Amino acid sequence: MRMRRLPKALLAVGAVIVAAQLVRFAPTNPPVEGDLTAPAEITGILRRACYDCHSHETAWPWYSQVAPLSWLIHHDVNQGRQRLNFSQWSDYASDPGTASEKLRQISRRVAGGDMAPLYYRILHRSTRLTAAQRDALVAWAEQEAANQELSH
Amino acid sequence: MLLGTPPVRADDAIPEITLQNGRFEPAQLVVPANTAFKVRVTNADKAAIEWESFELHRERVVQPGETITVYIPALAPGTYKFFDDFHHDTVSGAIVAQ
Repeated sequence: MRMRRLPKALLAVGAVIVAAQLVRFAPTNPPVEGDLTAPAEITGILRRACYDCHSHETAWPWYSQVAPLSWLIHHDVNQGRQRLNFSQWSDYASDPGTASEKLRQISRRVAGGDMAPLYYRILHRSTRLTAAQRDALVAWAEQEAANQELSH
Repeated sequence: MLLGTPPVRADDAIPEITLQNGRFEPAQLVVPANTAFKVRVTNADKAAIEWESFELHRERVVQPGETITVYIPALAPGTYKFFDDFHHDTVSGAIVAQ
């Protein structure tokens, strides 16, 4: 009895997965409007560990087109770009208080080990930061935030 | 290095937004389109707020009793929402450029 139900259950799951492919999101990388300028060491770390979700230069993996994973990835990229977008940094910089706040958040999130998110680090080994890289990023963000605060 | 100097803006008649009792006043601030401006944001409540707008790319923490000045670039005509990211039950507001 159980064995007879199994193929039906698998068919049902398969049908749901196939139907899910009808809900698609186009991977978008809008133009870069004003990218962050920082020392090469820092931009190297940011590009490797952060830019996929926090810029308009997302490297969309093949599975970003396969539902339901695609839904999660698109959601994360949209949220990430809303919260912090290095491709629009010049917008933040036109209000020094905002640039300072963004830099302080980068510092806090990186120092606290919250960024990049754990699941993303598991999927992408290259985004894992060494202690030295984290320290460099935090020191840079704190210094730039202080510079911003002095400027206004 | 990151940072440019904010563009020069007229200092007269700086519009103000105040958060009090979990509401922004005015809830809708009308400004001229295509003109850069500054806005003062005052937190008259007892807890820190984060005045944020995804559309304006602005995010500022405002302590209780504090007034901050936010630089806003020239805006195309339209409605730009802002909210308190620390308290999502706070009623959001909008800057309307026209």
